[in-house]
Amino acid sequence: MDCERQRFNKIINFRLPHKFMSIGIAIAAVSIITMFIRAFVLEGDTLWLKELAKKGLLVGMLIMSISRDREEDEKTMLLRSQSYAIAFVVGVVYALVMPYIELGVSNVVNSGGEVYKDLGDFQVLSFMLLIQLMFYHNLKRYR
Amino acid sequence: MQNTIKVERAILNITQDELARLIGVSRQTINSIEANRYVPSTVLALKLSKLFNKPVNDFFILGEND
Repeated sequence: MDCERQRFNKIINFRLPHKFMSIGIAIAAVSIITMFIRAFVLEGDTLWLKELAKKGLLVGMLIMSISRDREEDEKTMLLRSQSYAIAFVVGVVYALVMPYIELGVSNVVNSGGEVYKDLGDFQVLSFMLLIQLMFYHNLKRYR
Repeated sequence: MQNTIKVERAILNITQDELARLIGVSRQTINSIEANRYVPSTVLALKLSKLFNKPVNDFFILGEND
């Protein structure tokens, strides 16, 4: 029982060293630049590059999210868990509401409109990670 | 929860930064505690108690809403 609890605590408290924050930022930045280059410069079948950039952005943001702060203490750990909670709730609301907003907008813009379609995993995950990072850094700033 | 950390810190004549380093937290955390925006954990309260050489009750006081 204690052994399992210790294992859970190990997983919960897992953080990458602070230097990974820069690595995460670099991966996310390269992915975003790649997305722009693919969209505006490259021609031909580059769908694989789009998928790779999407995965790269998610990995970069995840690394940023689980990297330790330079001064990590109990207060920053509390703020981090608060930001995860906020991101989870906002992410679920976003996933529920956004398809209807997109449907409404497309019906207004195009007279025929489009059929209802759910959000993709990339859109939901990137939104949740973005909200988490944004809230964490804002909560830290105004702590 | 109210506290008199600022007074205790003044008695020891140390800055927020020095206190933070002595108990292993960031300066901003000390600032949050002093401004009553954050209630520290028992571990941190006991570290402060050891440093100030006083019982925790002497510098943490329960408020009316606690």
